[in-house]
Amino acid sequence: MSHDMTVLKRLLWMVLTLCALAGGPVFAADAPPATAADQALRQQSQPLNNAPVWREVRSGEQHYTTVQGVETGVLIQSGGQTWRALRNGPLMLYGGIAFCAMLVLLAVFFKLRGPIRLSEAKTGRMIQRFNTMERMSHWAMAISFCVLMVSGLVMLFGKHVLLPVFGYSLFATVALVCKNIHNFVGPVFILSVLLFIVLFVKDNVWQAIDALWIRKAGGLLTGEHVPSHRFNFGEKTWFWLGVVFLSLTVGISGLVLNFPNFEQGRAIMQTANIVHLIGGLIVMTLSLAHIYIGSIGMEGALDGMKTGYVDETWAKEHHELWYDAAKKAQPAEKPAGGMPAPARV
Amino acid sequence: MARMKFICDAERCIECNGCVTACKNEHEVPWGVNRRRVVTINDGVPGERSMSVACMHCSDAPCMAVCPVDCFYRTDEGVVLHDKDLCIGCGYCFYACPFGAPQFPQAGAFGLRGKMDKCTFCAGGPETNNSEEEFRKYGRNRLAEGKLPLCAEVCSTKALLGGDADVLADIYRQRVLTRGKGADIWGWSTAYGKPDAPATAPAAGGKS
Repeated sequence: MSHDMTVLKRLLWMVLTLCALAGGPVFAADAPPATAADQALRQQSQPLNNAPVWREVRSGEQHYTTVQGVETGVLIQSGGQTWRALRNGPLMLYGGIAFCAMLVLLAVFFKLRGPIRLSEAKTGRMIQRFNTMERMSHWAMAISFCVLMVSGLVMLFGKHVLLPVFGYSLFATVALVCKNIHNFVGPVFILSVLLFIVLFVKDNVWQAIDALWIRKAGGLLTGEHVPSHRFNFGEKTWFWLGVVFLSLTVGISGLVLNFPNFEQGRAIMQTANIVHLIGGLIVMTLSLAHIYIGSIGMEGALDGMKTGYVDETWAKEHHELWYDAAKKAQPAEKPAGGMPAPARV
Repeated sequence: MARMKFICDAERCIECNGCVTACKNEHEVPWGVNRRRVVTINDGVPGERSMSVACMHCSDAPCMAVCPVDCFYRTDEGVVLHDKDLCIGCGYCFYACPFGAPQFPQAGAFGLRGKMDKCTFCAGGPETNNSEEEFRKYGRNRLAEGKLPLCAEVCSTKALLGGDADVLADIYRQRVLTRGKGADIWGWSTAYGKPDAPATAPAAGGKS
């Protein structure tokens, strides 16, 4: 019973922290306003009952101190307890479970279903799907993402997974390297995400045919190929959810943590860290599915991002409408020289 | 084994900052770091109180719970210490601590954090007691010399006490019991109403 209450309380805090992303610090907001006037009055009515002072101690408000620095005037900041309870509690537990469950799920799916193969033989005729710029921005994002994922996982779970194996000295060295890599690769990731969004947003808007993809659930279970333009609804969902929303949320909250020299207080950094963790754990978990379907999960899928060209059979089966338009716009054979712009629909 | 604790008697602290200065000098603390500070609540308002605060060496220490490399440890005397050789400067202990005890000397551009520094209860670190290495990283190890924390020892009004919790509790209990008498005892007016309260003007709009 009391356990349920704690869970409820934690959930409430989670909602509050999420609200704080938009509305500023909530940690101090529930404290009563400065009670200096109260206190002066109390000194007259009940001189030996100094409760207003003790209320202020726990308020998280700035008071007077000669020591210079950020928030040195705050005697007790209570938000850290909430941050600790969330991070060491539900976020680590459910985040870890979700990440592992996705790995298991994909392994089982691969075992049962195997890779999605082409129904017809390859034609040998290649058609350009991504130009160099598009592939560069994708791989810059992908590589920095993987580096951030590994270093982030080490910092979140390493204490429980790697430390018992590595021992203190070695693990501390690994974690130090991870922390520094995480801090320096983070901004690179944000830049590559922004570039990626600019390059790909045009082909990721809603198109009427996407309704069909949703109705047939992408043909995931039936094995049927659903026609689509350059990107199908699954890819579009990953673009808007994974790249635009989650990656930018994680990126912005990461910048708040990465640059403490702007004198932001602890409440903001605690909130940013919780947002960073929630967003990071979700995007990491989902990315596993994306990496799976883009590599071993589908025959020919990796070629597009690796070389920029896909076989006509692949194009026809997976992106029929895009294929039709691309056929009209450019000659079928891979050109010997020059790099024509990829067809867009 | 004694359980070491600090206690600051807010009825006695006169905000002289002697503890802050003594600590900084004794341990040759890194630039920009103050292991102890004095905060005055509602400065200038009747009833203001000052309190000296540093690491409180918690039993369930948040810093220890969130450290990703597990660099904190607790001595037999309940003092929370950390190993600067393991610290990676991530700042998590700083997020978790309610007292603002963990601080970081800036180690590079853009606020890059160095090794965390905090109050050690004058108990040094994992290195050999009173070695040069220990002093350089953590400051003096007074406990190993049989002395108590300097901040408490220099306190001019004995507001700040540091030492065995049982002894401190006895001292503080004695103070509370003998501080004032009759209606001057702390809590009397709360428990037994307002003895000859001065005629304060009733709040606007309230019943007279």
